[in-house]
Amino acid sequence: MSAASRRANAEPRWVRWTLLGVGLSFLFFFLALPLIAVFVEAFAAGVPAYIAALKDPEARSAIWLTLFVALFVLPFNVVFGVAAAWSIAKFEFRGKALLITLIDLPFAVSPVVAGLVFILIFGAQGVFGPWFAAHDIKVVFALPGIILATMFITFPFVARELIPLMQSQGKDEEEAAISLGASGWQMFWRVTLPNIKWGLLYGVILANARAMGEFGAVSVVSGHIRGETNTLPLHVEILYNEYNSVGAFAAASVLALLALVTLLAKTVVEWRMRKETEMLDAALPPGKVE
Amino acid sequence: MSIEIRGIGKRFGSFIALDNIELDIPTGELVALLGPSGCGKTTLLRIIAGMESADAGQVMFSGEEATHLHARERNVGFVFQHYALFRHMSVFENVAFGLRVKPKKERPPEAAIRSKVMDLLKLVQLDWLAERYPSQLSGGQRQRIALARALAVEPKVLLLDEPFGALDTKVRKELRRWLRRLHDDMHISSVFVTHDQEEALEVADRVVVMNHGKIEQIGTPDEVYSNPATPFVYQFLGNVNVFHSRVHGTWADVGADVGAESETVANAHEGGAMAFVRPHDIDIEHSPVAGGLEATVQDVHAIGPLVRVELAHQSELIEVELTRERATELALVKGQQVWLKPRQVKVFALPGAALEEGGSGI
Repeated sequence: MSAASRRANAEPRWVRWTLLGVGLSFLFFFLALPLIAVFVEAFAAGVPAYIAALKDPEARSAIWLTLFVALFVLPFNVVFGVAAAWSIAKFEFRGKALLITLIDLPFAVSPVVAGLVFILIFGAQGVFGPWFAAHDIKVVFALPGIILATMFITFPFVARELIPLMQSQGKDEEEAAISLGASGWQMFWRVTLPNIKWGLLYGVILANARAMGEFGAVSVVSGHIRGETNTLPLHVEILYNEYNSVGAFAAASVLALLALVTLLAKTVVEWRMRKETEMLDAALPPGKVE
Repeated sequence: MSIEIRGIGKRFGSFIALDNIELDIPTGELVALLGPSGCGKTTLLRIIAGMESADAGQVMFSGEEATHLHARERNVGFVFQHYALFRHMSVFENVAFGLRVKPKKERPPEAAIRSKVMDLLKLVQLDWLAERYPSQLSGGQRQRIALARALAVEPKVLLLDEPFGALDTKVRKELRRWLRRLHDDMHISSVFVTHDQEEALEVADRVVVMNHGKIEQIGTPDEVYSNPATPFVYQFLGNVNVFHSRVHGTWADVGADVGAESETVANAHEGGAMAFVRPHDIDIEHSPVAGGLEATVQDVHAIGPLVRVELAHQSELIEVELTRERATELALVKGQQVWLKPRQVKVFALPGAALEEGGSGI
């Protein structure tokens, strides 16, 4: 390209190629290669061994537990996320900044610490431990503990996604609905929810990915009871430590597949959201003309 | 339905948005709440609608207490500055919303909803847009749909918050005349908020001028324009030249000359006084006139049908508006020495002194 025909703000060709090269090789070595390696290792002993590894009762139990926990946690995420985003975006109250900070807490705290907190609260020597023990309810080293830890870790996703969206939409439409005689529920179902549905779905997908992949917090509270409290990520670790590489990578490939599905769903939702946002932008009033 | 507002007060933290507001809006009137931004006009409208609660005072609809009624029970139609159309619903569904959310017992059958919505869309002359979405409409069309939506529930009162504020000048003028006709056809009481004095003066039966959470004056458009009760109203409704008696001793004489009672002017003098003269109430003469103010022409602009002349009197700038004919006759040039003669002056005592109205016309 001659200097004359180059746009004034364009970088030299070698700069662009270098940047592109650095970016792409990073992507290859840190993202694509590991993903390929997972599948190569999983099929290293052939397809039958792969299928056998997944048919193993402990592997199947881990897959089901992971899916169950993720599905169980999602409704709570949705309800909490919408409620928190609603109160932050549409109301003024004392301690709003504190609430926003608290919502981010699970992002800031190490998952291991989060898990330990639940041990301290619900464990045998914990605050509520004796009471639960007396009533024969197992929280820690059982399913409830795993669910609690996962819920804690995934709480921020939906709220974080919805707060800016709801703030940008304002409360005019809700007020219009109320002045037209709608009840609170009618307003929510007919006006608010349709306006936030794509953002909500996006938050749910992110929360779901995290719920299925969570290791640290769950590892602390689960107790690693095979076939009972082992989630898929924990299962991978156990097999790997036992030098069962085919089994470990087969299980890991399931996680990777779940991640790919999540990625696809996320892309579709993002695309829909962008279309919706364009519509929203077009729906914004033209600039004030004085 | 008449609206009575009794002693309404509202604070946001330490900011006093409304201070003991008293206002009667008789049935069938179109009333404008006019004032600069932050004067409390929108807050007052939202309190009438029930979207904001007052700290003190009462709102009565037709003499009945409505202060504690929820917004959805007040049966008021509310039109927002930014339309607030439901963006994911078609125009038809937007207008039908108020009917569809009625309790089952009161909800009209589907066919009745359909015909009612189409009637309303015809009323706002947009029935051909029924299947479109809000994002596909122009600003003016959106605001008319918002009006149709508000009218669907047959409100007793129509409240409009800067309804034309986001529109361009031409559409705004069309739409406000159309609103006036619509109001006359619907036989309801309407209150609209505006910061545009031209809009308020043109459309409203009565204008309520507000400032700093207080009502400055209530009157017909003609009353508030030609007989402003306070210096604020004078300055807010149109351009005005202000003269302080201490600085411009001669203008008090001018006031006396043109008929202001000399006693009033004398009284005002003790505490200091301000004289208000509209730019179009000043005439320019080439030769000295009795009580005239000597001034130098600084600039002459032709603005549409008017010619605006800026003059300097000592260090003060004075604005005068002349008709094109008069300007041609005078043939003013920059730097020319002329004499100003007011046709109408209004004198107010300075804040702190008792308010004295010493103005009168020739």
